[in-house]
Amino acid sequence: MRKQRDVIEVEGYVVECRRSAMFTVELDNGHRVLAHISGKIRKNYIKIVLEDRVLVELTPYDLTRGRIVFRYRD
Amino acid sequence: MNTKPSAPGPRGQAMTVTRVADAQWQVLDNDLLAGRGYAMRRPDGRLFVSIDAWHSSAFDKLAEVMLADLPAPLHTVVDEADLELTSGWQQAGFTIRRREWQYVVPTDPRVTGLGAVLPPPGVRIVPAGEAYEVLLRALDRAIREEVEAGAGWHSMPAEVCPRPEGVTMVDASRYAVAAAADRYLGLLRLVTATRQPRIGLVAVRASEHRRGIARALLSHVLGTLHRSGITAASAEVDESNQAALALFDGIGGQRMSSNLELAR
Repeated sequence: MRKQRDVIEVEGYVVECRRSAMFTVELDNGHRVLAHISGKIRKNYIKIVLEDRVLVELTPYDLTRGRIVFRYRD
Repeated sequence: MNTKPSAPGPRGQAMTVTRVADAQWQVLDNDLLAGRGYAMRRPDGRLFVSIDAWHSSAFDKLAEVMLADLPAPLHTVVDEADLELTSGWQQAGFTIRRREWQYVVPTDPRVTGLGAVLPPPGVRIVPAGEAYEVLLRALDRAIREEVEAGAGWHSMPAEVCPRPEGVTMVDASRYAVAAAADRYLGLLRLVTATRQPRIGLVAVRASEHRRGIARALLSHVLGTLHRSGITAASAEVDESNQAALALFDGIGGQRMSSNLELAR
């Protein structure tokens, strides 16, 4: 787990691609969060699919929600 | 660094937007990072922006400051299903310029119906990695010249990757080709670097349209993927490209989502 200013970054796997541009990500600590794709990922047309390993930014406002900020290569 | 205080956010105190780098902004809400904004100029010269905010008031403040700081026209990309983000950009004055469908394309010939599809007479399919590069580059140039006479090519997602001036084909080994005796007629670029292969481009010389060459290329490439155990590939198709939509719909491609390109 990495922490920048006010931001917690955690790695996990995409376990569900949901409607409304949302994904369920199971974090390495076993918790599941609802995450959307960051604007930088979308601008670069990086696709997120089931079982992708991703880096998720969690918000201090709500630790059950996050933002996928990086997709790791297989 | 350029800091601008603004109206209170959900935490009750004024939000502060700061341009922390030439192309990066952030908003603090009660000293808590509530969002970031980015700008990026694409190789085609267009300026794209994005905002990641944890609440709508942070988005609105970032958008207000970024739009004041940056020259028009500005572009952004949103998932159409992300209604909140789409609405935020529209309230900031952005309008829809184009829509692009995200397909998941099955590879099983029993689903695609491509199992019995063969190239037209006098045409053969050259597998990826076996094309003669000089002829392939000649085909790439010819197709680009034909398509650039129309609309849309320059804004295709596959065309935004940074590359040296004039270089349009980075890795010739990714292309399967439809070949006649003396020249190449059509190509299909497949990217296999990720878990789900991506059909990056299907294109045929204008003079060879409506001969079934694109279907033959897809039959070959999808069949090869199927035999190697891969069940699906992805593809993106511009909504204005009716022929491509019909092609992918016709082989059982499923429209999973859509991206909107917005501009202001």
